[in-house]
Amino acid sequence: MKPRLNMKPHAGGKLYVPSLFLLVAVLTATPVVMLLIGSFTEGLGAFGNFTIEKYVDVYSDIHLVRILLNTLIFILGTASFSTLLAYVLSYLTVRTDMPFKGITKTLSIVPMMIPHILLAVGWMLLFNPSNGMLNLAFRNLFHSHWTLFNIYSLAGMVFVEGVLDMPIAYLIISPAMASFDPSKEEASWVSGASNWYTLRKITLPILKPALLASFTLVLVRSLASFAVPATIGMPGQVYVLSTYIYRIIAVGYATDYGRAAAVGLVILVMSTFFVYVYRRLTSASEKYVTVSGKGYRPAVMKLGKYKFVATGIVGFLLLFLIVLPVVTLFYTSLLPYVMLPGARAWSLISWSNWNSVLHDPISLRALRNSVFLGVVGATLGVTLSIFIAYAIVRIRTRLSGLLENLTFLSYSFPGIVIGIGFMWAFVRTPLYATLGALLIGYIATYLPYGVRPLTSAFIQIHQELEESSRVCGASFFGTLRRIVLPLIVPGVVSAWILMASMFLRELSLSVVLSRPGTEVLAVQILNFAADSLWGKVAALGMIMILISTVLVIIATLIGTRFSKNRV
Amino acid sequence: MNKQMRATTTTDLATGTGIKVDGLTKTFRLQKSIVQALDNLTLVAPYKKVLTLLGPSGCGKTTLLRSIAGLEVPDTGEIQIGDKLVFSSDRKVFLPPNKRNISMVFQSYAIWPHMTVFSNVAYPLQVQKVAKGEIKRRVAETLAQVQLDGFEQRPATKLSGGQQQRVALARALVARPRVLLFDEPLSNLDAKLREEARKELRGFLTELGISAIYVTHDRLEALTISDVIAVMNAGKIVEIGTPKGIYYNASAKFVVSFLGDVNLVEGEIIRRHDGLTFVQSPLGEIACKASPTLPVGTRGTLCIRPEVFEIATDAPNEGQNLLHCTVDQLLFTGEAYEAEVTIGDTQLSVTLSSFTDVRQEDTISLFADPERCRFIGEQ
Repeated sequence: MKPRLNMKPHAGGKLYVPSLFLLVAVLTATPVVMLLIGSFTEGLGAFGNFTIEKYVDVYSDIHLVRILLNTLIFILGTASFSTLLAYVLSYLTVRTDMPFKGITKTLSIVPMMIPHILLAVGWMLLFNPSNGMLNLAFRNLFHSHWTLFNIYSLAGMVFVEGVLDMPIAYLIISPAMASFDPSKEEASWVSGASNWYTLRKITLPILKPALLASFTLVLVRSLASFAVPATIGMPGQVYVLSTYIYRIIAVGYATDYGRAAAVGLVILVMSTFFVYVYRRLTSASEKYVTVSGKGYRPAVMKLGKYKFVATGIVGFLLLFLIVLPVVTLFYTSLLPYVMLPGARAWSLISWSNWNSVLHDPISLRALRNSVFLGVVGATLGVTLSIFIAYAIVRIRTRLSGLLENLTFLSYSFPGIVIGIGFMWAFVRTPLYATLGALLIGYIATYLPYGVRPLTSAFIQIHQELEESSRVCGASFFGTLRRIVLPLIVPGVVSAWILMASMFLRELSLSVVLSRPGTEVLAVQILNFAADSLWGKVAALGMIMILISTVLVIIATLIGTRFSKNRV
Repeated sequence: MNKQMRATTTTDLATGTGIKVDGLTKTFRLQKSIVQALDNLTLVAPYKKVLTLLGPSGCGKTTLLRSIAGLEVPDTGEIQIGDKLVFSSDRKVFLPPNKRNISMVFQSYAIWPHMTVFSNVAYPLQVQKVAKGEIKRRVAETLAQVQLDGFEQRPATKLSGGQQQRVALARALVARPRVLLFDEPLSNLDAKLREEARKELRGFLTELGISAIYVTHDRLEALTISDVIAVMNAGKIVEIGTPKGIYYNASAKFVVSFLGDVNLVEGEIIRRHDGLTFVQSPLGEIACKASPTLPVGTRGTLCIRPEVFEIATDAPNEGQNLLHCTVDQLLFTGEAYEAEVTIGDTQLSVTLSSFTDVRQEDTISLFADPERCRFIGEQ
């Protein structure tokens, strides 16, 4: 342990860490505590009367077995599929001489930038059993009544969620693959081992922590996923825990927040456990990062004549998985109803869906609200994140360590569950049904997205730069403002972009907290989808993608301008 | 001394069955340029001797080693280990590394982080399906050899750099391979440790009497560890010989300057007498060694290493190879003086004993032993 002396140079901010800690604790703990209280309460607005009836209700329901089973299949399937897909893509982009590596790498993380609900809808338009375009095309081609693939199923959900979560897996596996010293495999070959033996005994065991970390992180994400289960699970009556909660609070006449809380708490416990496992695994994988020597170079496997086979497969995969659904979405936004491309479709193409969406008062309000939440929320969130990241990286005390854990705790918070917690917290306050409620909820839930890029930005600034400012007589906050802040502009910009685009598309938290007057884009899209207004879904979705692109461009421009002025 | 130095031709080295490399060529495509890593290279590595491939980075030495290991597939040529043909482009033979009965110590050590020291070392035996008891015995024996006994259950990640290097060596030795390959195994150690490891490794290799090929760009490592040094440049073997022979009697200017500091002075052969060659140069007439095939009148370069010079107390051999020069600069390095001296318009680097009583701007007389001066004719 370092001596306490460490605190001294930061004496200017004596209350800095404790007050931050308190703020973050309030933000993250409030929904959890309220969820707990709520689960033992009669219903919203009936605080104080302790009851375990909700638990008895929920856990004696025979349907829950089916739902738990679905959930299990859904998350395990998704995690396996994503990890496998990411392993293959990482291997090809990192370890082989496949052409078009750059494009492949970029495309692999694209699903992260497109709002999940839109990609899910895109897939649904292609593969729904009644008029999914690829299903229609298949029927026309073979004059059959068969369905090529029914996306309203567990398999469909695993497939779409797997594609959507692949970037997370890819971002964990490909750096591990890149830092893998190929001489570890070569040493096995010269020891007399075959390729297969080497893969089993050396390659996979060394990559195991990364593979397991990616697996558990995808488990967390798919457990929290709402967009996919809602858009393609519910139409097929395939319910998982998150849609089950949604059914309890939003469908039918007897909404019951007590029961929702009782279910939500279980999800929260599962999720927190997975995150705990994940963090253990990532520290284990750091242990495996051994000294790789000066002469270390990642040996590239020559694909030879298989080069073009590999490119073909990867190209087809990425085109099919990512480009096709987006194109389908745009195409649908121009048509009055779903139909295959052809002369008839061509004659009907118009902007009428866009027009009607842009003249619909509720959609317009949702648009305004989402932009407001994106811009204001990201600005507030990033400001808070700067202070937190600074405390985590620079002021290393026991409390700042706890602060780090507390911040990343919200990684394990499924939006819909945490939304219910906030619902209990806000229901009797003036915040209820305001944009302020959404703002607080967003920031609390997505805090890690701001803190992560900023901690890595702080790590890259040498501490002596700050110390020389203090020596020159600047105060603690003066140094923060005049030295540190200008240096972390790139980190700030990427954190802002990340948060703003998360907020702009936010669905699972909003689905609980948004009320008439505080509609947001994603919820409005979900409502259109529930009424099968596919043209409007597509048009509003495209508008959402356009707005987030514009925001990203503006933020990047401001960022470059700022750093240019500095030089 | 003289006879020993001459015993450096390839035919003398070919006794026993070592490794034969014949006409090996390998080109790489790096983005748009084509790199010739191995250029019709032929080499015979002697049986149960340590051969070092020495050369600057990019000379193809690692490519050659990896081709012998089977980790790289050459374009054309043949490689034979012992009496076994492991690669032949004509006969379409390519044995994968696991079928070549070799072992290799890697630059990064390539210690498997998910295993203990024991499992790392036992791996080659497990692959061969050796009986459990036998594995245990041989691993213990090998670990004792590298002074790591008692470390069996230590996780591989909990080892220092020097210990990792020993584990890598133990893993390479345990299966008693036909050939041991080393790819710059000491370059990741810090200077002090490297010196120790070098001495130890030399002791080991002499004791084991195993055929080994050792790749390095460090001349000191090459000189101390090898029985034979093959100096490489631009995908070719430039010269091959014993460490001492190649250090003093190399016949290529590249080899002379690569192996250490050297003074290069232009000159011309004026006569031969009593096994010595006399060269007219800006230093005056210098007696030296030269290839007997060079006729009188050949122009070329005189190569004299800084440590060859010594302060002349009296005038040996009637003033032969005696140089009168002025000291321009004197650097005290602890074990010696590094001096820059001038004679006429020519500047020379000279290493003198640190006990020598010289001062800057002194005029001193230096003697250079003719047996250790070398003349290389122009190509």
